[in-house]
Amino acid sequence: MLNINNLQVEVGGTPIIKGLTLQVPAGQVHAIMGPNGAGKSTLSYALTGRDGYEVVGGTATLNGEDLLDLAPEERAARGLFLSFQYPLEIPGVPTLTFLRTALNAQRKARGEAEVSVPDFMKLSREVAKKLGVTPEMMKRPLNVGFSGGEKKRMEIYQMALLDPRFMILDETDSGLDIDALKVVAEGVNALRGPDKGMLVITHYQRLLDHIKPDRVHVLAGGRIVDSGGPELALALEADGYDRYKDAA
Amino acid sequence: MALAELTLSAGEAALVNAFPPTEAGEAARARLAAVGLPNRRVEAFKWTDLRAILASGIPEADGSAGLIPTCLQDALVLDFAPDGFGLEGEKDQGLIIETEDSLELEGAGPLALVAAGFAPRAVVLRVTQSQSRPVVLRRHPGAPMRVRLELEAGTRLTLIDTALATAGLSTGFVEIEIGADAELLRYSLQDGAANAIDLAHTTVSVAETGRYHAIALMFGGKLARAETEVVLAGEAASCLIHGAYLLSGSTHADMTTRVVHASPNGQTRELFKGAVQDRARGVFQGKILVERAAQKTDARQNHHALMLSEGAEIDAKPELEIYADDVQCAHGNTIGALDDQALFYMRQRGIPEAQAKALLVEAFVTDVFDAIDHDGVRDWFSDLARAWLEASSS
Repeated sequence: MLNINNLQVEVGGTPIIKGLTLQVPAGQVHAIMGPNGAGKSTLSYALTGRDGYEVVGGTATLNGEDLLDLAPEERAARGLFLSFQYPLEIPGVPTLTFLRTALNAQRKARGEAEVSVPDFMKLSREVAKKLGVTPEMMKRPLNVGFSGGEKKRMEIYQMALLDPRFMILDETDSGLDIDALKVVAEGVNALRGPDKGMLVITHYQRLLDHIKPDRVHVLAGGRIVDSGGPELALALEADGYDRYKDAA
Repeated sequence: MALAELTLSAGEAALVNAFPPTEAGEAARARLAAVGLPNRRVEAFKWTDLRAILASGIPEADGSAGLIPTCLQDALVLDFAPDGFGLEGEKDQGLIIETEDSLELEGAGPLALVAAGFAPRAVVLRVTQSQSRPVVLRRHPGAPMRVRLELEAGTRLTLIDTALATAGLSTGFVEIEIGADAELLRYSLQDGAANAIDLAHTTVSVAETGRYHAIALMFGGKLARAETEVVLAGEAASCLIHGAYLLSGSTHADMTTRVVHASPNGQTRELFKGAVQDRARGVFQGKILVERAAQKTDARQNHHALMLSEGAEIDAKPELEIYADDVQCAHGNTIGALDDQALFYMRQRGIPEAQAKALLVEAFVTDVFDAIDHDGVRDWFSDLARAWLEASSS
């Protein structure tokens, strides 16, 4: 599924990711944990193709296809989704217009037929109900005036609607209280599947109580410095990241 | 000819010869011969240099007046062509249409003078009862238009004016008098190509509790300038002036407004939005003057523009001049680029860059049209804006 090999990324000429290697097979959820400034968000932006995150070495493929030469929208059409740590507000663009445009743009890029307005409305309502997204939220301009928790729920709602193959969740737990966290985690868990993969980026262990990872990796100083099963996350919660200081 | 040493440019000379032998034509001829067209050394024209743009002469008229959209099929259409003026459609009771060969022309600025001088006669519209049918003023390529519009107390009219020449010099001079508690809803559309010059000047006087609502959409041309001068003469008179400009290629559009609050309790709402790309140039000059007598004035002016290319230019001059002491006045002016983060967010969801840009610009601009009180015209303007965005992003 996702194959990252010796990836090196610079931001403004400063090396941030310094040779990162990681494989996430289909059907698995991997967590990336690490201290602040370890390069967690840089990794998610580099994989999704944001300007200013310059890949200077290494490879990243999704199902064998090179991601790094593709435009962000082409990566999205191939099934790569990033749930943003700080979802953007898009004033003036109604949420449903935005989502239908996105869904149909992806389908068009894949050579699939567009979804009609009635079909889209039906689909969007079904998904919304499961995630506690209200009709009022869907009518408003995207994320405008939403609370932090609502924005995160909206990210997962978009994810469910667009049905990506590989999902990167960047600090999805930040800004969520425990009830909202449960709703979001349920939504995420519902999207797990044998042909799908997930990379859950988080600073804290608590999200992983709700979204159980198959593997946990520690990112420090731009490299994966440790990997293990779910028990690694618990050890990190107890001991902190101090012991990786020198490894970075 | 005391100032005979002034050398007229080819365009100025052509204009001088084109003015008919009317009172206004003679006035315009004398003025032009004496001082020429305003150039960039004249403050109000520093970004829109008429003399330079007409230096090589008047471009030959081309293009069509444009079709009346289906949403305005019930409208009364007044056609202004180079060879005269025509009427199309049915006229309701309470609308009187006359022509006048010579109307007074006092204190007119250069644009009004040229437009008035150019027009062989003025069309006078008197509204004595509210009109359910809109009236369309359609300027043909190369045509002059002079209109005087009087709304009697308590009447209401919807007015649409269009100038869609692809080449040539079209002019418009519209004088409007809005009576007590009367209301004019005006929607203006200008679209031109590389060789179209459109000069339009409007003066409006609003009596007590009268309302002037004007929403304009401009795509520019070789040069397009729309000047509006509103005097809120009566107590609690109000105006709403909205404008959007969408410019690409090497087009130029200029929206210049001046609102004078002369009486108490008046209200002004101005909202202008622009998006400019390639080597196009957008100009916004907006002045609100609150006279000493105009206590309790509530005036707001906003101009926000997006630069979509490096070579684009936007010039803005917002001005508030206030002599009354108990007023609420505010203005805001921003010029910026599209938000890169929003753009990336949209692309990450699969929306191609050009489409994402178009969506963002559309969202930015279209609140200008929210105040349009005619569903068909609102859709028409929104569709035109969308078509421009699609054409310019492909």
